Amino acid sequence: MLHILKALVLTILLVVPARADQPLTVFAAASMREAMEEIGTTFAEESGTDVLFSFAGTGTLARQIEAGAPADVFVSADAEWMDYVLERQAVLTGSVREIASNRLVLLAPAGSARLQPGASDLPERLEDERLAIADPETVPAGRYGKAALQALGLWDTVSSQLAPMDNVRVVLAAVARGDVPFGLVYRTDAVVASDALVVYEFPDDGHPRIRYLAAQTANGSHVDADRFLQFLKGPVAQEILHSSGFLTDKEG
Amino acid sequence: MDFFDLQPAEWQALILTLKVASVALAFALPIAILVAYLLARFRFPGHGIVNALVHLPLVLPPVVTGYVLLLAFGKKGPIGSFLDNTFGVSFAFNWTGAALAAGVMAFPLMVRPIRLSFEAVDPKLEDAAKSLGARRFTAFLTISLPLALPGILGGAILGFAKAMGEFGATITFVSNIPGETRTLALALYTATQTPSGDIAAFRLTLIAAFVAFAALIASELLARRLRNRIGGADA
Repeated sequence: MLHILKALVLTILLVVPARADQPLTVFAAASMREAMEEIGTTFAEESGTDVLFSFAGTGTLARQIEAGAPADVFVSADAEWMDYVLERQAVLTGSVREIASNRLVLLAPAGSARLQPGASDLPERLEDERLAIADPETVPAGRYGKAALQALGLWDTVSSQLAPMDNVRVVLAAVARGDVPFGLVYRTDAVVASDALVVYEFPDDGHPRIRYLAAQTANGSHVDADRFLQFLKGPVAQEILHSSGFLTDKEG
Repeated sequence: MDFFDLQPAEWQALILTLKVASVALAFALPIAILVAYLLARFRFPGHGIVNALVHLPLVLPPVVTGYVLLLAFGKKGPIGSFLDNTFGVSFAFNWTGAALAAGVMAFPLMVRPIRLSFEAVDPKLEDAAKSLGARRFTAFLTISLPLALPGILGGAILGFAKAMGEFGATITFVSNIPGETRTLALALYTATQTPSGDIAAFRLTLIAAFVAFAALIASELLARRLRNRIGGADA
């Protein structure tokens, strides 16, 4: 028994110094997963500081940060939740910056035909089935989606046929599995999906501008937090975001 | 608005929760009694496997159970598409799906106490009934079942409580549709996901606590009456 304990202690002692610094902890919106992971790897190579991510719905993350979760950086998929943590002084006011924007699309299982302009045939093709959407009451993507459907005059007909889900990635999976004939997600989610395809792209003037905001948390004491925020706005990270389908400064 | 007046959405969630839990209980309890009786009274090949299967939903993360239900009973799932095509019964994104998830999650919690109370019934009593000419089923119905009632009641209460509070399997399987699958637990979750939802979450917490409290008191009274009756039969 003692030998095992000794071995354990030795292993821990050997492993711990290998990571000279504490990793930087970033809480980021689920819709940014792939791009953020790539940015994290690049940042680690450049700075020598590892980045640890926790991905979830923006609302969940905001609540956790308000409750004092050990995050250093918060990346929110909308302005409303960023305001929420700002009001509660859980993030540093001066540190907030917009890092990217996005667009909304309708997805359908592979093999489906495109929708008409204005998605006018959506109600008809939906028949008695459901349109998967991130919850319009709570999730940013759902709120934007509701506005976009309202702008097309479709909200009143489809609002009784929604399947509100936890976040856009759940919507994506439901479409890919064929559980629903249509799902409303970000353009960037469509890039990740292999069993689903874009059948409609929403005009971006139908909903408030989608803003991904990043900020340093109030109790995030990591020395590299600010550096990471600057890195997010820098050319390398912006290029990764751009190639993942996000709208960056390049496109205005 | 008076703080104690329930809003339409809260009524909706409360009534839906009671409906889902009641239907789940109505379908799962008879099966649970049957399975518990089989496990308590018979040794058959695969006894251990059946026992393990029954307890799986208790041990697995609820999300896994919900996911398995989604794959099996979803629109494209083998069981789901069969039921839909043959009987027109659909579970996907439907309150019936919420009841199915609640029933499955509650099942092991029902089987356990019921099985224990069947095991506590002396098999000789059933043998005596049979020696007096009762068929096996009659002996079960008139001897074992009444004597196991306290355990059945306990199982039903546990199962109902679990069904009312079920969250993980439900949201994974049938998502979070207001009036259809948004039970109290899901409504509470929705409120915590809203920037200004603290008061709503607090109100729903109170409602849930009140319902649970009322149900526990009611079951305690019922159990007391039952004990008196069984005790009375002994005397």
